[in-house]
Amino acid sequence: MRVLPLAYVIALGAGLGLVSARYAVAERPWFGRAQVGAWTSWPNSGARDIDPYMRAYLARGVHLPLGAGEGLELIAKEDDAGQGLDARCRYLVSGATPPARGWSLGVTDPSGRSLQLPIERESFTDAEIVRGERGGMRIALATTPETGNWLPLPAGGRFQLRLRLYDTPISSHAGELRPDALPRITRTDCR
Amino acid sequence: MSAIDDSLMVPAAEQPAARARALPRRLLSRLGSGLLRLVLLTLAGLLLAGIVHIVTVLRIPVLATHDAATVYAALGANGHADLATPPPAGLPAILDGAPNSVAAVCSYDLAAGPLRVVARTGSLPLGLTVHRRGGGVAYAITDRAAIRGVLEFVVMTQEQLDERLANDEEGETSRELRVISPSLQGLVVARVVVSRAFDRSEAEALATGVACGMAD
Repeated sequence: MRVLPLAYVIALGAGLGLVSARYAVAERPWFGRAQVGAWTSWPNSGARDIDPYMRAYLARGVHLPLGAGEGLELIAKEDDAGQGLDARCRYLVSGATPPARGWSLGVTDPSGRSLQLPIERESFTDAEIVRGERGGMRIALATTPETGNWLPLPAGGRFQLRLRLYDTPISSHAGELRPDALPRITRTDCR
Repeated sequence: MSAIDDSLMVPAAEQPAARARALPRRLLSRLGSGLLRLVLLTLAGLLLAGIVHIVTVLRIPVLATHDAATVYAALGANGHADLATPPPAGLPAILDGAPNSVAAVCSYDLAAGPLRVVARTGSLPLGLTVHRRGGGVAYAITDRAAIRGVLEFVVMTQEQLDERLANDEEGETSRELRVISPSLQGLVVARVVVSRAFDRSEAEALATGVACGMAD
């Protein structure tokens, strides 16, 4: 009766190995990520020395990440207090951005897809925002219209913020940034 | 006197009681060896799972059929980059695409020879990246590196580079920028940042104006 133990080993090995591999590359991997405050980036996703998990993740879909010398993308799923971004709440994104030739700040669904809102305003660039006296960024995120720079949110559900820095010198050492070098995400109130 | 001889000396009435006392010990011994066997088999299964996990993660890019280079393999065949934001009818859109940028792509297959990429810069930020088949960026450059408003490089394999270096004139420096692609197939992506909504048509013209054709 050697067949049964062998079948057990093969079933356990193949099953667990395949399921864990699928789980590991279903989303952006934990390996190689750099966390700065509420923002997460994968500095090597656009570099030649990309790690195998990120490469497998990119190979599973039509992904064209920014090249290491081209720019850097940072993603926020939570506010600065660590609470998940919820469209039933209002948020204020304010502060500074690292040195870059240009930047854009956009809102997407948790999968990174467009929110498909009736109002065609999914993002702002550095050239589009109205700045305060100190020249900093101040963008309001809410379902209902806000004064100043307003990014509309859907009626409910989770969402993500994506900050793209174009032609920035920090691409390769994003993990060394201080949290105050990136915009703060503050929850104003909730319905 | 041997142990066998001793057991023979046990009175007949006491033998079932001795057997009854030995039974739990035998059961425990069998259970223990069964459990040990299960633990060893599970460890072997976990070891195999680790090997399957690593092999699967490494093979995904090789076997990928839905990566950008495979999906957009038909774009850019007419000598210039084709717009991928939005993609032509029937092709999937770029995942995680930035709404504030336009992208045009040129697919390449270096089996036929190196690929020359020429881009003219404009007033909007332009970036060119070489994406290998199976995911991953092999090279990136921005319009800051342009010489007299032109960005130009040649994509080739390591073997093609070696051949080119061997054919270079002795002591003469080549002026062309040579980029090694780790895979035979891939994409050259021209990305232009749309700073304001009314810049979109200019950005699209800049991105689709990137020329890509055989190097020689």
